[in-house]
Amino acid sequence: MTAPTLPAVRLVDLHKSFGSLEVLRGIDLDVQRGEVVCVIGPSGSGKSTLLRCMNLLEVPTRGRVFLGDIEVTAPDCDLDHVRAQVGMVFQQFNLFPHLDVERNLTVAQQVVLGRSSREAVEVALAMLERVGLEDKRHEYPSRLSGGQQQRVAIARALAMGPQVMLFDEATSALDPELVGEVLGVMRELAREGMTMIVVTHEMHFARDVADRVIFMDGGVIVEQGPPADVFGAPREDRTQRFLERVLTR
Amino acid sequence: MTAARVDTPQEPPPGGRRFRVSGDQAVRWTLYGGTLVLVVAVAFLVDWERLQSQMFRWDLVQAQFPGIVTQAARNTLIFTAFGFTGGLALGLVVALMRLSSVAPYRWAATVYVDVIRGLPALLLLIFIAFGLPIALGVRIPGTYGRGSVALAIVSSAYIAEVIRAGIEAVPKGQMEAARSLGMSRGQAMRRIVLPQAFRIIIPPMTNELVLLLKDTALISVIGVTDATKELTRFGRDGVVANANATPLVVAGLVYLALTIPMTRLAAYLERRAGASR
Repeated sequence: MTAPTLPAVRLVDLHKSFGSLEVLRGIDLDVQRGEVVCVIGPSGSGKSTLLRCMNLLEVPTRGRVFLGDIEVTAPDCDLDHVRAQVGMVFQQFNLFPHLDVERNLTVAQQVVLGRSSREAVEVALAMLERVGLEDKRHEYPSRLSGGQQQRVAIARALAMGPQVMLFDEATSALDPELVGEVLGVMRELAREGMTMIVVTHEMHFARDVADRVIFMDGGVIVEQGPPADVFGAPREDRTQRFLERVLTR
Repeated sequence: MTAARVDTPQEPPPGGRRFRVSGDQAVRWTLYGGTLVLVVAVAFLVDWERLQSQMFRWDLVQAQFPGIVTQAARNTLIFTAFGFTGGLALGLVVALMRLSSVAPYRWAATVYVDVIRGLPALLLLIFIAFGLPIALGVRIPGTYGRGSVALAIVSSAYIAEVIRAGIEAVPKGQMEAARSLGMSRGQAMRRIVLPQAFRIIIPPMTNELVLLLKDTALISVIGVTDATKELTRFGRDGVVANANATPLVVAGLVYLALTIPMTRLAAYLERRAGASR
């Protein structure tokens, strides 16, 4: 299954419309195993929709999505099975407020993966340790800071043993002083070789961590390449203008 | 408000305002005076002795016990419990149907809720007790059975709407997060969304329970045996037997002893839910 040439994620001519609004207008993208791809672009450019099409939280209007050798867009695809292998981290954390931290991490392991409660707790503790929050295992989400909540959300996704991690503006809802701890966890993940697709406004993170930066505008990929190229010498006017706006802020 | 108070001394005291204040006071004193006159008038005009002998005759009060508790209140609570349990189960199904992605389910549930909520509970009760056996040959056995089924159906429509509102009050991100972890729609609903929804709807649900408890009074019209009399029927029969209103007054007091703690509990839960948000 893990043929070295097979990309972790492959998008073929992906289109998505909401009513008459065309949000994605034909996206082709291969993400290799272990690659960290950062997606940047103005708001409304379709970045989040692109991410949400990868685990079919949004159903594409046209085009195909592959995860490894599985075609997610195939009509007979077991979506629940596929989604368990794709970790997703949301802007608003979306922790389960009625469950404590440990249960947030174990519930899907038990329900979806059929792990025993002991096994699930073991994995949960290991993941909490990874994000530095093992002492918060019995707290409820409302008692945690935004940064801590987002780290728990990352641990929750990791507990499922995902092939790919998707980050949808994971730090945009955080107070500025809490952004660092979350980016730190993401950096660590990237260093460990996790395949990551990161929609972000953190240009420094993109420059430092990404293997490839993708600039999206108007529902298409305008430009992509190594961060040094995209940030240092953007070829497209639109990329230049966008970078000037966000970097001089 | 504070700002207005700070500003006032800098301006010349507005005459209009002062006049208005004394005007308010005049109105208030008139109200006090009027109320006093009314109370005195009632106190003198009402024949208290007769009122007491007709509505609160002590020997008749005593005669209501223990039957009004061991039989009537017990039956009221039995009807309430069965009706609410059934209404909750049915209401949950209807609520989930209303939120279903399958259009015919949504339509059916919408029609059900509209029809049941649009009809008087009394009409439905009579229909289930007398109409069904005549029209379809369906006869639900026993007063407990007929009464509970009717109450369950009536309350299910209201409960369905409460549950639906509760589910919709849970942020969409909760379902998405659960789905992104690989849970099916059903698993996510049961483990993630519904537990949160039920927490949100505890106060309105308590209100539904109080309404249902009062609606058990309607069962008095569908022909009950001595053993299945609930509070209203018990009180009414007492009135007829004694040509005296005392039994109904006592029944009313028993209702209040049941409903007031429940509404207070609902208010308390509502305050607590508001505080924790």
